[in-house]
Amino acid sequence: MKFDRQLLINFDWPLLGIVLAICLIGVINIYSTGFSLTSAKVPLYLKQLQWIIIGLFFMLIMLAVDHRILIQYAYIIHGIAILLLIFVPFYGYATHGSQRWLAFGGFSLQPSELVKLTLILSLARYFSDHGTQTLYSIKDLLTPFTILMVPFLFIVRQPDLGTALMLLIIFISMILFVGIRIKDLLIAGSSGLLLAPLAWYFLKDYQKERILTFFDPERDPLGSGYHIIQSMIAIGSGGFCGKGFLKGTQTQLKFLPEQQTDFVFSVFAEEWGFIGGVVLGMLFLSLILWGFKIAQYSRDLPGTLIAYGITIMIFLGVFINIGMVLGILPVVGIPLPFLSYGGSSVVVMMMAVGMLINISMRRFILQP
Amino acid sequence: MTGMFGRLNGHDTADFRKRFQRLFIIVLIAMTILTIRMAYLQVFKGDEYKLRSENNSVRLRKIAPLRGLIMDTNRQVIVDNQAAFDLVYVPSRVVDIQGIIEKVEAFYEKRGLSLNNDSQLTGKTRPFVPVRLEKNITMSKLAFVETHALDLPGVVVEVAPVRKYSGGEMMSHVIGYTGEISKEELEKREDDELGPGDIIGKSGMEKFLDEYLAGKSGAEQVEVNVTGKVVKALGHIAPLAGHNVVLTIDMEIQKAAWEALAGKRGSAVVIDPRDGSILALVSTPSFDPNLFNSGISKRDWDRLSKDPLYPMENRAVSGQYPPGSTYKVVVAATALAEGLITPDTRFFCNGSFELGNRSYRCWQRHGHGWVNLHRALVESCDVYFYNLGKMIGVDKLAEYARSFGFGELSGIDLPREKPGLIPTKAWKLSKRKEPWQVGETIPVSIGQGFNLVTPVQLANAFSVLANGGVLWRPRIIKQIEAVDGRIVKTFPPEKKRVLPLSPEQIEMIRQGLWGVVNEKGGTGGALRRPEADVAGKTGTSQVVGLPQDEAARRKKILTRRFKDHALFACFAPYKHPEIAVAVIVEHAGGGGAVAAPVARRIVDAYFHLKTGRAAAKAPVAQNTANERGGQ
Repeated sequence: MKFDRQLLINFDWPLLGIVLAICLIGVINIYSTGFSLTSAKVPLYLKQLQWIIIGLFFMLIMLAVDHRILIQYAYIIHGIAILLLIFVPFYGYATHGSQRWLAFGGFSLQPSELVKLTLILSLARYFSDHGTQTLYSIKDLLTPFTILMVPFLFIVRQPDLGTALMLLIIFISMILFVGIRIKDLLIAGSSGLLLAPLAWYFLKDYQKERILTFFDPERDPLGSGYHIIQSMIAIGSGGFCGKGFLKGTQTQLKFLPEQQTDFVFSVFAEEWGFIGGVVLGMLFLSLILWGFKIAQYSRDLPGTLIAYGITIMIFLGVFINIGMVLGILPVVGIPLPFLSYGGSSVVVMMMAVGMLINISMRRFILQP
Repeated sequence: MTGMFGRLNGHDTADFRKRFQRLFIIVLIAMTILTIRMAYLQVFKGDEYKLRSENNSVRLRKIAPLRGLIMDTNRQVIVDNQAAFDLVYVPSRVVDIQGIIEKVEAFYEKRGLSLNNDSQLTGKTRPFVPVRLEKNITMSKLAFVETHALDLPGVVVEVAPVRKYSGGEMMSHVIGYTGEISKEELEKREDDELGPGDIIGKSGMEKFLDEYLAGKSGAEQVEVNVTGKVVKALGHIAPLAGHNVVLTIDMEIQKAAWEALAGKRGSAVVIDPRDGSILALVSTPSFDPNLFNSGISKRDWDRLSKDPLYPMENRAVSGQYPPGSTYKVVVAATALAEGLITPDTRFFCNGSFELGNRSYRCWQRHGHGWVNLHRALVESCDVYFYNLGKMIGVDKLAEYARSFGFGELSGIDLPREKPGLIPTKAWKLSKRKEPWQVGETIPVSIGQGFNLVTPVQLANAFSVLANGGVLWRPRIIKQIEAVDGRIVKTFPPEKKRVLPLSPEQIEMIRQGLWGVVNEKGGTGGALRRPEADVAGKTGTSQVVGLPQDEAARRKKILTRRFKDHALFACFAPYKHPEIAVAVIVEHAGGGGAVAAPVARRIVDAYFHLKTGRAAAKAPVAQNTANERGGQ
């Protein structure tokens, strides 16, 4: 590695700094949710910290591998992730009524999280092979569509509506970025809308309920609506300055459901108020804009596409999750990147950041 | 930022520049939307939401479900629910709780009432979770608190269902009781269905069938005003009532057995030998399960748990006693099955039996003379059975004892059952690290020595003789039903084993047992009824080895602690038995004198009840009556 020194000089410290700051806020926040739990064996915040450290290790691996090698093996990696996904119904265990987890010895993996990343890699591979000089037609997009649909269908079956939706939006974002003919876009869009009622038929009852509740939260104040009402009370009652660390009554009294996962932002906003929310928002905003800069100034097209995909993934996670807890988007069960508790999510996000840094620090390197 | 990213090499990103510019705008718009929404909720409507959260105007309250009913075999309700009123306070609304308590006490005092508060108020409380001041308050207290609500801010009355045990002490060992879930129990549970303050079954059926009886909590979301009154119900999930349980117990027989044992210490078990159904299961002394409803007071708990007579113990399944002479049926069965004796084999009893340099007494000091199997059972001759025991050996005897269900858990669906003890050579070697002495087989063959049985095992063993050789698993639950009557689970009779004896051999023993009650010189004369339909066996089990010396023996017998246990086991009617009964009275003396009269009252009650019920049923359901009697 003769470029080692130069790589170190070009290492993207600001990006790592922003990510670690967000992670730290996450751990502190999870500490607060677990504060009122007296009987937990290992505190959740320590577990989250442990996941972040494991994530940093994976990030290091990602740094060592040139992204062009990842692109080279993108389809194979995607295939492996899909295989893991297929194994979920056989070896997975169910939480909250759906099977999403694969257990490996001590820790469990959620292959659907990994698939987000491998989908981005595969699409980047396909589009860098085919260039971005001309606009794509529907016919050209059949291969990328297959790359999406195989894991998508398996994830819908689990059922994990949130992640499936995420894959779909990442796919659409990638296509819009590389460019599609307006006519073809309209055809694809309208046929998608026509197929939507069919998709409704395949949704589980609780998923239909969640979508209906979004349009009318008071419809089921103790079921899905309860989540959103309590979340809005939590956030709203935080006020401008917040109630203070460990003082969020909605959180500490467990009025707020799924505090450590999907509604983790409500906990934060209740205790840290509007000011805290804006600070966190600024951190996310700088992370996202930084990511797009990396994409824009990447040395090669695959780098641009990967960095774009990853940043879009982070952006969508942030926007959908916070929009959801603020009551402006339906409750679809998408974790807040870096803040929500969850091993697979944290590790995959750290790997993604590793790729970003990788692309960022190699942009000055001359092609060998 | 762009300066920092000055492009040095790589592919041309100029064609992307526009796309990224658009992207920046989209992201900025999205983040702005979120910020505006956040500002709307937190700044614009912040005060409103703060009020809703700080007053906790919206409260999610758990609604306790109704536990399932427990009924006897005739569907008579033994355990029901009733409303109880708890006095609680909401910490967030009470500034000075000590002051409020004093106020309540002062109010009570005016009426001559007092506050029963055992719980510690100093413990950690959560501001909005109600804390109980007093459980299960009386109507007069309820009326009082309600009328003075304004003087007692933050103090509220909550309604919760509690168990009503109409069986009282009589049924407490079968039914058990309920109580608040303990911290340990809460930690053991995997699900988070239950929280502190929830009620679970703590013993007996309440514990064993808790998953069926418990039901599912409902929830209620309400908006409350400053005084804690509900002003608006926002939502409601109805609780799910638990399943109902039908037992095999017959309350009338249970009651007869309870009354027959009144004032005594011991246990009585009545089994239907045709399918192993438990008709009555009594253990005395007992306790009142209703005491646990209001969260048992420390005083009551101490009284119960420190009582030297152990009222909380279910003697029917946990009490282990030497079986005494009732065990002779096992010895007789073994000798017959192994072909060691015929009914005509005779032994001479001169009042004692010599083995090596030791002498073993017969209870009849003057001896029984020449006795065959029938006389030996009728007069309970010890020497006859010493002879059999010596011929059989302890291990063979243990083998047959197991076919009667001794020495192992009967499998009855009640907690804390004990297996009793049937000694073998291997057992002694492993437990006592000593080889078995031949001399030890001698007391074992009359049910003394190491032998231990539980009342339920004894009743079940006699049920084996009654039904011609089938060992059933004692069955105490008939079925579990949903509230709408749908049957959730049935508990069919379960055959465990068949006694390896020919019907003729079983009949020989049965005849002997009939003689015990109905022949001259029999030890069970107390059960002699005009119908001459009872067959049974007395037993007297020595609590400690009594000195051979007559004077010392007398002296020791007088102290109650060393007095023998009285046993009686029987079945009736002799020809087609419908009940098998075992009675054990602790430290009471001889089985014939003490336990047999208890059994008599139970048997009498059963047949009295049967004729009564047949008469009542006759016009409508002649067929079923015939069927029952004709088996």
